[in-house]
Amino acid sequence: MSFSFNEENTLKIKTLIQSYPQKRSLILPLLWLAQKQDSYICDDAMQKISEIVEIPYMHIYSVVTFYTMFRLKRPQKRIIEVCRTLSCELNGSEEIKTYLDSNHSDEYEIIEVECMGACSGAPMCTLDGKYMENITKEELAKVLK
Amino acid sequence: MITKIVSKNFDIKDSFKIDVALKNGAYSSLDTLFSKKPQELIDTITQSGLRGKGGGGALAGGKWQLASDHKGIKYLVVNADESEPGTFKDRRILSLDPHLLIEGIIATCYAIASHSSYIYVRGEYEEFSDVLQFAIDEAYDRKYLGVDARYRVDIVVHRGAGAYICGEKSALLESLEGNRGHPRLKPHTPSPEFYFSEPTLVNNVETIASVPFIVKNGAESYREYGTEKSPGTLLFAVSGNVNSPGVYEVPFGTGMLEYIEKLGGGVKNGKKLKAVIPGGASTPILPANLIKDVKLDYENLRDIGSALGTGGMIVLDEDASIVKALKNLLRFYHHESCGQCTPCREGTAWSDKILDKFIAKDASRQDLEVLRSVSNSMNGKTICVFAPAASGVIDGFLKHFESEFLECIK
Repeated sequence: MSFSFNEENTLKIKTLIQSYPQKRSLILPLLWLAQKQDSYICDDAMQKISEIVEIPYMHIYSVVTFYTMFRLKRPQKRIIEVCRTLSCELNGSEEIKTYLDSNHSDEYEIIEVECMGACSGAPMCTLDGKYMENITKEELAKVLK
Repeated sequence: MITKIVSKNFDIKDSFKIDVALKNGAYSSLDTLFSKKPQELIDTITQSGLRGKGGGGALAGGKWQLASDHKGIKYLVVNADESEPGTFKDRRILSLDPHLLIEGIIATCYAIASHSSYIYVRGEYEEFSDVLQFAIDEAYDRKYLGVDARYRVDIVVHRGAGAYICGEKSALLESLEGNRGHPRLKPHTPSPEFYFSEPTLVNNVETIASVPFIVKNGAESYREYGTEKSPGTLLFAVSGNVNSPGVYEVPFGTGMLEYIEKLGGGVKNGKKLKAVIPGGASTPILPANLIKDVKLDYENLRDIGSALGTGGMIVLDEDASIVKALKNLLRFYHHESCGQCTPCREGTAWSDKILDKFIAKDASRQDLEVLRSVSNSMNGKTICVFAPAASGVIDGFLKHFESEFLECIK
C-alpha cells in the first residue's frame, strides 16, 4: 500500500482515538489529515482509513464524495475560491470571477463556491483556504502577480 | 441601541488569549455556577426564556431538560456549522471571544451532567477554528477543562468539510458519526438528539455563549432586554447593498429599518430600499413597504409572513434584480440539497433550471405555473426543513414581486 500517515499524523491519530466514543467518528478527521498530508485523498488513503476505523472502504468513499471540500484528484494549481452567493453577488462577485478567469487562470484554479460566512466582507474569495474579504481587482492583481 | 452581552469583548485586542480574556471577566460565572445544583441552572435558563440562536428559536431550557432527563452518557454538541447565506455571527464568537463559548460549554455540560462536548465547525472556517483550538488548549493548561478542572469537561473541535445541510442538527450528528450528512427522521414526541444512541443536546454557538451572562446575573437580568416572548439580545447582522455591513448585537424588538439605517449605515450610494431578506437566505423576502414598522423578533416576523431565522439580513436596493436574486438562491439550494428525498433533490434542481429561462427572458406562463407547482411539491413532503425553506423562498418572491417575473415572459 503506497499511502501511510506520516509520524506526526500517526501521533495525532492516537490522540484522536481517545477523543471519540467510537472509531467511526474519526472518518472526517482522518480524511482531513490525509488531505493535508498529500493535498488530496487517494484511493490508498481511503483504504488505510478504512482499516483504522474498521469500516468498509466503500463507506469511506461515499463520505468523501458527499463533502465538497474533499478532493479526489491532486490539485495542479493553487486554488482560489470565489463566493457567489447573494450578498457577494450584490457586491460584484461576478466581476471578480470574470477578472480572475481572464487574468489568473493559468496559475490558479478558480472555483465558485457557496456562502462562506463572510457576507460583511463581500465580495470575498479564499487563496489556499485563507479568507480575503472586501476584495477588488486592483488588490487581487497585486497579490496574485 | 447596541447592547453588548455576547459581543462585549469583541473589540478588545487579543481577547482570544486567556490572560486577556480573564482580565475582561472570562470564567467569572463559574463560582455562581458551582454554587447551584444542575436542576436550578436548567430552571434559570428556562425562566430566562433563552431561545436557540441558530435560526429555529426553540426554547433552550426545554431542550436542556430533555437531555438532562434522559438516561445515559450525555453529550453536548455545539453547532458552529454556520452556513446560512447572510449569516456570519458565530465566527465572531469563535475567533474574537472563544473563552466565552468555552465558559458557556462548561455551564451547559454541568447543567445536563455531561462531561464531553464537541464543537462542529464548518470546514471553511479553518482559521477561526484554529483560534478556537488555541483557546481550548490554554483553558486546559489553566485547568478550566479536563480531569483537573472543578468539573470535568472535555472539548473536541470537529471540522466539517463543506455541506450546508450539516447545520441541521440531526445531519450534523450523522456527520459527526462519520456518515454523509443526511438528516434523520424526527420523532413525534419531544426527545433529545442522539449521538451514537446516547442523549445529546445540540445548541448553536451564540446560544451557549449567552449562558454565562444568565448564570452570573440571573434570569430576570436577561429578561430586561428584548420582548416578553423573545427575551435578550441577538447578534443581528446586515449585508448586501448597505454602507456598513457587519454584526451588531441589539435586543430583540429593535426596529428593522432603524437597524439597517443606523447600524448598517443605510442603503449604499443613496439608493432606495427595495427589499430585505430578514434572517438568512431561508427566510421569505419582504418588500420595503411591508417592513416600515417591523420589529426584529420571532413573533413580529412570523406575523408578516417571514421568519427571524438567524437574524442575518440581506438588503437589496432599488436596482437589484429580483429574478436574479431568486436565481442566486435557488442555485444555492440546488447545490446544497443532500439528495436524500426526491421532492427536494428534484425540486431544487428543477426550479433552479426554470429560473434560467426567466433570466434569459425566455419564460412562458406555463413556466411560472410549473415553478409554483414545484414549490408546492417541496413543501412538507421531506425529512427535514430544507425543501420547505426553498419552497417558502420561491413563494415569497412570487407573492411580493410577481410583476418582475411576468416581465420575463416572452
